[in-house]
Amino acid sequence: MSKHTWMRVGGVALAAIASIAHAQDAYVVGVSAAMTGPSASTYAPVVDALKAYLDNVNSKGGINGKQVRLVIQDNQGEPSKAAADAKKLVAQDKVLMLINTSLSSTYAPMVSESKRANVPLYYAGAVCPAETMPPADPLQFCSTAFSASLDSQASVNFIKDSAKEPVRIGFASMAIPVARAGIEQAEVVAKSLGMTVVEKQITPPPTPDYTPFATKLKEANPNWVFSWSPWVSQVRTFEALRRLGWDGRYVTWAHINAEDELARLKDSEFYVIGTNALLVDNVPMHAEIRAVTHRANLKYPASYLTEGFITGMVVEEALRKTAWPPTPAKVLAAMNNLKVDLKGLRGGSLEWTKDNHFRTRQHYRVWKWDTAKNDVVRVRDWVAVDVKQ
Amino acid sequence: MPSASGYFRTHYGEDTRLLDTRTKRVCYALLVVILVALPFVASAFLLDLANQVYLAIIGAVALMLLTGYAGQISLGHAGLMAAGAFTAGILFKEVNAPFWITLPASGLVGATIGVIFGLPSLRLRGLYLAVSTLALHFIVIYAGGEYETKRGFSTGVIIAPPRIGSWTLEDPIAWYFVLGLFAAAALLFGLNLLRSRTGRAWRAIRGRETVAEALGIPVARYKLAAFVVSSMMTSVAGCLFAYYRGFVSAEAFSLFLTIQYVAMVIIGGIGSMLGAVLGAVFVVLFPYAIEALTQVLPTPAAWANAVFAINYAAFGLVMILFLLFEPQGLVGIWRRIQNYFLLWPFKQAPLSKGR
Amino acid sequence: MQLTINIVVLAAIYALICCGYVLIYRVSRVMSLAHGELMMLGAYGLFATAGTFSGHPLIAIAVAAVLATMVGVLVYVALMRSMTGEAVLAAVLATIALGIFLRGAMVLVWSAQEQHPIRLLGWTNSAVSIGETARISAAALVLVVVTALAYLSLYFFLKYTVWGIRMRAAGQNPLLAAQRGIGLHGIYALAWALATFTGGIAGMLIASDTALDQTMIIIGLKAFPAALVGGLDSLLGALIGSLIVAAAEVLMIHYIDPLLADVVPFFVLLVFLIVRPWGLYGSKEELDRV
Repeated sequence: MSKHTWMRVGGVALAAIASIAHAQDAYVVGVSAAMTGPSASTYAPVVDALKAYLDNVNSKGGINGKQVRLVIQDNQGEPSKAAADAKKLVAQDKVLMLINTSLSSTYAPMVSESKRANVPLYYAGAVCPAETMPPADPLQFCSTAFSASLDSQASVNFIKDSAKEPVRIGFASMAIPVARAGIEQAEVVAKSLGMTVVEKQITPPPTPDYTPFATKLKEANPNWVFSWSPWVSQVRTFEALRRLGWDGRYVTWAHINAEDELARLKDSEFYVIGTNALLVDNVPMHAEIRAVTHRANLKYPASYLTEGFITGMVVEEALRKTAWPPTPAKVLAAMNNLKVDLKGLRGGSLEWTKDNHFRTRQHYRVWKWDTAKNDVVRVRDWVAVDVKQ
Repeated sequence: MPSASGYFRTHYGEDTRLLDTRTKRVCYALLVVILVALPFVASAFLLDLANQVYLAIIGAVALMLLTGYAGQISLGHAGLMAAGAFTAGILFKEVNAPFWITLPASGLVGATIGVIFGLPSLRLRGLYLAVSTLALHFIVIYAGGEYETKRGFSTGVIIAPPRIGSWTLEDPIAWYFVLGLFAAAALLFGLNLLRSRTGRAWRAIRGRETVAEALGIPVARYKLAAFVVSSMMTSVAGCLFAYYRGFVSAEAFSLFLTIQYVAMVIIGGIGSMLGAVLGAVFVVLFPYAIEALTQVLPTPAAWANAVFAINYAAFGLVMILFLLFEPQGLVGIWRRIQNYFLLWPFKQAPLSKGR
Repeated sequence: MQLTINIVVLAAIYALICCGYVLIYRVSRVMSLAHGELMMLGAYGLFATAGTFSGHPLIAIAVAAVLATMVGVLVYVALMRSMTGEAVLAAVLATIALGIFLRGAMVLVWSAQEQHPIRLLGWTNSAVSIGETARISAAALVLVVVTALAYLSLYFFLKYTVWGIRMRAAGQNPLLAAQRGIGLHGIYALAWALATFTGGIAGMLIASDTALDQTMIIIGLKAFPAALVGGLDSLLGALIGSLIVAAAEVLMIHYIDPLLADVVPFFVLLVFLIVRPWGLYGSKEELDRV
């Protein structure tokens, strides 16, 4: 390398240091997310949508006259990376709020860092841990659509309500702790509702062929199967079951790509249950999502971005209630008493109180593919579930 | 490395002396002063990076002893670190054991696993050995994962900071010195081991096993010793990692971590303690450097959403370039620079080529 | 019956992936840890060609297969060629670095979103009944047939064709082979090309049977124990190793505990490493020092 190039590199490094040092004139929010790596497809769209949303807010003049600066770190779903990210975000970027959009294994290091610095930690698009539900941990918040125990309850209740015949239920889940906990909860609920639990299949995370697992499930001959897991595991088990000739009904969680997948599978006995409105529900906010994503030139279809938009709305509202100059303590106070109008993207507004950092009410809708209409249809409208204090 | 201008040694002891010239002594003293002063001027983020580097040095030195000197390939490095971390985590959670018990305990567990890891090396060589250690990696991780799930720590085991008497090791600056001391101890231990009979035996085994045996070196015993020493150090590093990060989880010790350590040894330069240190520094800091660079360099607006993919790809690309154009590793570059100044202004082609 | 089919399908998946490991190891004694990524690249190749040649699925597949082969040559010429003289560990590390690079590059080009190349080809993956009780998906059936064809043609290639014999010679004793006038670089490039070809086909078929997403990388690694059980340098061994590992896995899922499915292959591998470290059909050899 010539001397000239070295000088240029040195200049760049100096500029880097300078850019870090410049004064804080914006609300700074830090994100540690699985932007690459095996689990990226679930998490990256959320962060991309969040960024597009906040860019849009900034272009309209920001919040309280100040811009929002989003510092995104890629943790690749790895705990050690998340630990280093959290440290960097807190120590160097002096963020007001930490956002985690990654696997649950990255929670522990971020929790310990958030505790050390007293900065609120907000799970967005990552499964809600029990700590966010009442009685909530003082620092942890969650707006993600899914949470193991409530979803399992709502889904099994849905099966109970729609089944005319006695239910022989089978369960499928991925071998990760959160999903296993969800399925165990569903099993308890199912038994208490008088269903016969015939089989429980737990598949290891990536597996090249789901047929061996599905074979065992099919042989137990359930007429309903419920699965609560990452999408891969849910849909692959279903497809394998169908290929084996199983003709029962399958209920599963509506992850961000559910709408696309309903249209791909075109199976009228495949039900997805969720809390985020699909595009087919066509609320006015969807037009805005489309417009913003088009402007931001995102690669993902608009249906993937609702979760990230909800995160954006929550962040915006929390910062709006944080007077300038902001501190993590002020943001925490705002988050402890927050009500965000989600404009139809969910069944109701999202409310956080001092000891409930999840939401006070959760609303569930169910969709499936209608072969006659050749479109996704709503099977059941919002059903509200109170989150117990 | 003898000085270029002469070979002034008068007795054998000088051959194995660690600091042989005055320049070296002065340089190292300066380095120590800089390292001691660093935490008081560095930002919290830089301090964390420095601590990561120290942790990595302990692990890299351990792997360098095993792979770089004794010539045994191991892909179980992350598994060994996990074993150390889980020993600390389990002892802490189950019997609330203090730091001064968990640390030696994890060393002991490491040594025990080292024997188990080492036994196949008596029959296996090269890549087959690598894969047998890989299998053990998966078994340790599986056991750790089962412990987490069965005990309900699904997002990892949280460990309280170590306490010694009434003093709690929590402050990053205190951690800096503790980890620095451990790293220095590991380095000195390694260097001393290498100038003893054991180190010479390892080098002989690496050179050619049959010849080593013919020279009367008990090959099996020294191979096992290499595994035990290296595993023990790695396991202790894992234990320190657990305390420093404040948590243990099976996912933290992925195969990628092993790859990073192997990369440290190779990028640093195989068969050199300095290489282990340089490799550790490089591999730990490199992703952050790339990140800083992509942040500063003007990237086209269309790429704004792809910056992470670019970081990731760039890490792979630079590693490839390194392997292609500098097979001797960072140590090779270091020696070239050193020679340039040692020989200046009398540098001539045959002299510089001869090294 | 269904169990047998499940074992055969899983074994075929493993065997088709193992092909690549064995071919590369056999000629150059390098373990390619970028195989999962190269499989994924092959599948993305099909995804890309299916978009370009929409309406002509066969052309798309052919072009994708050619692309996959060319990737192998490219990898060898650009990267592995200069690693030939280096230590084995450095070469293995080079493949790891290649894997990291490819992973990032693929997310860069195609994003992390899940894709279904088979839909772009205009086909559906329906199920076929075998006997009265058992069924197999069309893609899985194709996969079994392709694996059988791949192994048969590789067998004839290595046994009877000039290039195949040269390849075996280069694997047995590179120095001697070179002295007899065999161009080693050509042979190595060919091995890499065949490896990425079979790997790419495996990636395409797995993506057709399920979907194309980021987990394919790990699936590549899961086939590894199968290759080792059989012996890293024997194709027959890889086939039988795949059968053993697949059978152990499927039976474990069915009769004992699905949770153990992840550990079983490595457990089988450990047993083999203790009893027969060179694998079922591998040659007992003096392996390189580091």
